[in-house]
Amino acid sequence: MADPEIPERPERPPEATWATLRSIPRGSEVEILREEGIRLLGTLVLTTESPDRRTVQIKLPSGYNLGIRWRDSDRLLAHSPPPPARGNAPVPGHPPPASGSSSGTSGWIGILSTGGTIASRVDYRTGGVRPVQEEGEMLQFYPDLDRDGPVRVIPVLDRLSEEIVPTDWIDLARRVAVCFRDGARGVVVTHGTDTMAYTAAALAFTLSDLPGPVVLVGAQRSPDRPSSDGYPNLLAAVRLARRTDLGEVVVVMHSGLSDQEFAIHRAARVRKMHTSRRDAFRSRNGPPLGILSEETVAWSVRPTAPGPGPVRIDDRIDPRGCLLWVYPGLPADRARAFAEGCRGVIVAGTGLGHTASTHLPWIRNAIRDGAFVGMTSQCLEGAVDPFVYATGRMLLDAGVAFLGDMLPEVAYTKLLLALGRSGRADDVAAAMLRDWSGEVAHRRQVTGQGDP
Amino acid sequence: MKAGLEVHQQLRTGKLFCACPTELAEIPRARFHRRLRAAGGETQSVDRAVAFQAARGQRFTYESTDSDCLVEADEEPPHALDAEALRTALLVADLFGARPVDEIVVMRKLVVDGSNTSGFQRTALVATDGNLTVGERTYSIPTICLEEDAARRMGEVDGEPVFRLDRLGIPLIEVATGPEISDGAEARAVAGEIGALLRATRRVRRGIGSIREDLNVSVPGGRRIEIKGVQELRLIGQYVDREVARQTHLLAVRDRLRERDPPPVPEGSHDLTELLRPVGTGPFRELSRKGTVAAALLLPGFAGLLGPTTDDGERLGRELADYARSQGVRGLVHSDELPSYGIDPPLLERIRQELAAGATDGFALVVAPDPGVAARALDRVRERARAAVEGVPEETRDPMPDGRTRYSRPLPGRDRMYPETDVPPRAISPEDLARARADRPERPAARQARLAAAYHLPPELLLKIEREDRLEPFEHLCGLGHPPALVARLLTQEIPTARAAGAAPGPSWTEADLERLLDLVRSGRIAKEGIAPVLARWSEEGGSLESAVGSLTFPPMSREELRERARAIVAENRALLAERGERGVSALMGDLMRAVRGRRDGREVAEELRAAIAASRTESGTP
Repeated sequence: MADPEIPERPERPPEATWATLRSIPRGSEVEILREEGIRLLGTLVLTTESPDRRTVQIKLPSGYNLGIRWRDSDRLLAHSPPPPARGNAPVPGHPPPASGSSSGTSGWIGILSTGGTIASRVDYRTGGVRPVQEEGEMLQFYPDLDRDGPVRVIPVLDRLSEEIVPTDWIDLARRVAVCFRDGARGVVVTHGTDTMAYTAAALAFTLSDLPGPVVLVGAQRSPDRPSSDGYPNLLAAVRLARRTDLGEVVVVMHSGLSDQEFAIHRAARVRKMHTSRRDAFRSRNGPPLGILSEETVAWSVRPTAPGPGPVRIDDRIDPRGCLLWVYPGLPADRARAFAEGCRGVIVAGTGLGHTASTHLPWIRNAIRDGAFVGMTSQCLEGAVDPFVYATGRMLLDAGVAFLGDMLPEVAYTKLLLALGRSGRADDVAAAMLRDWSGEVAHRRQVTGQGDP
Repeated sequence: MKAGLEVHQQLRTGKLFCACPTELAEIPRARFHRRLRAAGGETQSVDRAVAFQAARGQRFTYESTDSDCLVEADEEPPHALDAEALRTALLVADLFGARPVDEIVVMRKLVVDGSNTSGFQRTALVATDGNLTVGERTYSIPTICLEEDAARRMGEVDGEPVFRLDRLGIPLIEVATGPEISDGAEARAVAGEIGALLRATRRVRRGIGSIREDLNVSVPGGRRIEIKGVQELRLIGQYVDREVARQTHLLAVRDRLRERDPPPVPEGSHDLTELLRPVGTGPFRELSRKGTVAAALLLPGFAGLLGPTTDDGERLGRELADYARSQGVRGLVHSDELPSYGIDPPLLERIRQELAAGATDGFALVVAPDPGVAARALDRVRERARAAVEGVPEETRDPMPDGRTRYSRPLPGRDRMYPETDVPPRAISPEDLARARADRPERPAARQARLAAAYHLPPELLLKIEREDRLEPFEHLCGLGHPPALVARLLTQEIPTARAAGAAPGPSWTEADLERLLDLVRSGRIAKEGIAPVLARWSEEGGSLESAVGSLTFPPMSREELRERARAIVAENRALLAERGERGVSALMGDLMRAVRGRRDGREVAEELRAAIAASRTESGTP
């Protein structure tokens, strides 16, 4: 489209024009004249610059944005600073509605925010999302949270869940414990969905004698869209957190595509099984604990009753563990190098819990050197079993612990805690084989073709 | 007056943001339910139209079909902008002489009436500053946009709107004119021309609902009104002219109100349930039901201004009723209609006393299932009545089949648009433009002239070929040397007839099939009259053309054999011929053609029949 032979030259040096445009604040009103006589009036949304391209995005009075590839012949005719914020615009960080943080009253629900989609909003400058942190902003975003009683919003982390590290689990567990000690009836944790299942398992393994529910909740659609699942999920989570018949860590998310039923998953049994659907979270090797509808809960498994309190916490952790996914062609050297320096390895094996026999030597050596090696299955459904095939027996003979129907990620999370609790491989092995929080079952009932 | 048009045309490329087909589907495969809530956009303020819709707290049912996927269900992020749709949009920009933008930014336009699962419609500005010449006048085309169509509303179940996802995401090209149209007839002509130009790309969908117009109308002193989703081109003129009449009437009412200078419409309403329960007829029959209430709002100074004051039937009362209906009451009774509906003059007098209504005061009355609905309905009526003093409120209106329009919601502002962050901006390269222009179609007028000169067929027939989108096969087959009249008849008559008669969904004959069929005619294997029976048989049996021809093939018929058949038929039907004359001849011609089954040319059949009739008359001595 650029015509290099346009004779008319801009009045100002082109560099100055671009430099001006780049320096004026986002939100300024600008008027741009292009060489073909097109005059564009709008609000400056952003400017971007790379060695070979300068672009400016403006919002037209019609509401449409358009991108302009800046040419030397383009001219910035006028610009004026951004108008003040509009009247009915709720300002982020504004004090929350009155009842919002009515601390001091008993029976409040703690809402611990960690970041993630459920507590993030679109940054229109970069197109990315940024976390909602303050209580005021949260209650603005999610009015009605305190409809049935007071809530306290407590920012803990400010991270997308893929950025969360194991020590964050411990910080979070301590904050949950503090909530209960301060009189919370229940605790809700808003969390990014990517690694929510890890955090849920970690909380379940770290906290015991819970006097009330700990409910992790997330969103698969960002809250800036009218269809976000974040709001219904969070309302459901807060409703569940007020219940008096639940004393364990659970995950609450959509049970299907509709905004009316929410599955309650046991923390050590749940897995994100879809990249984008609202009902991505599924319980494995059994049904979810129950289904929460607008008014009631239908339990399919009896939940753990609340303890008398006070809540207990075991916050020891040793991050020297790893999770190894084996696959056809994985060289034994590479696997060995990956596991080097680890006090424990969880193998996500094939089928009933296998690796190629080429891996036997390094596994044998690692165990001989005092490491724990535990076997889980990539199948996710069903238990591992060393006795069906020769490979299994060889792995067993090498000292590998077969971890039943424990999910690989859950086993990894548990491993770090088990390593923190004991320096002795035998103790770690014994701990790993013991059921801490419903992560292993000895019985799997017949269900239909699909998922429960 | 000023009017502008927005023409929305569906494309038959792929869907705009996923890999689904753009065919509508008959059978739902799954259903789910959702709610939508208003969310702040870029500026964090909630648009008035959005807030209005979201306030209803409505739940929606969605039906998924074979023509949609997780993207339409709002369960998967949108894919990149469909390349074919973009190419078509750039081609359309070129046809209107518009300037493509350097970078397309996909926007979310908030719509929380349930017609979009996400709560917004994705839309992007593709080009600006085009124009269109119709007759003597040139109109500006300020914008050309590419957007996704909404889900299809299938009705309501238990008060819950049901939408089908098959239509959601079908690409729409939106061509908008400037506010330069001055009456209904002109609006219709401009819309027709835009439609013809869009169809010229041959990448548009056809049929009911595949093209829809929004009309923006305002008269001096009035405000902008958007009439949304007009499907019938022939009604466009009527909608525009009626809207002008409506606004003119509202301005006249405003002037009368200003003369009277009444106090503002008061807050609060009057409960008339007990007073009206004994009426027992019309809308008041409902009052026997428990909880149902009747409530009235005093309208100071409105007496005589609610009913018709002009001959064209525009009245403020209807506007008030539309606002009341938006809150779930069935309708509204106003004082200019009374006495009626079982309210006699004494009762009317008692109502007026109850409301303390003076001589120039009017009132509005609603019957609602509960006091909350009544209050909300009268709140809207109050709002609308107060706006009457200002003249014409800005609104979005729905077109009705009778050429009238009805209030649907407030006009949305720019606050409802914010960027679709899941789709990165798409830079338009010179290559994109070259690719789009590569198959630039002829302008409709130029094409008509060329076709008429090339094929010597009646203009109506050529138009029909074009309208039915058969120009491509037509020109191809004629190019192979087949007679244009024969090809035209095959494409516009014989194939549609065979399809209609055959089993659903009907055979899909390829161009190659049609080539072979016409070759058989050229080689004399079948006569032109044999085409219809072959197609019928083919459609019935499926299989190949050859097997259809084979099963229809009889020993060839000689001219002598034809002559004998003709004589036999005439001999059998002497009485009929004597009685019905020429009409009898046509009937016999039909019988004889069926017997010949395409083995001789129709002209020969006619000749032999005429000869046989002549011979028979000579024999019997009749003149």
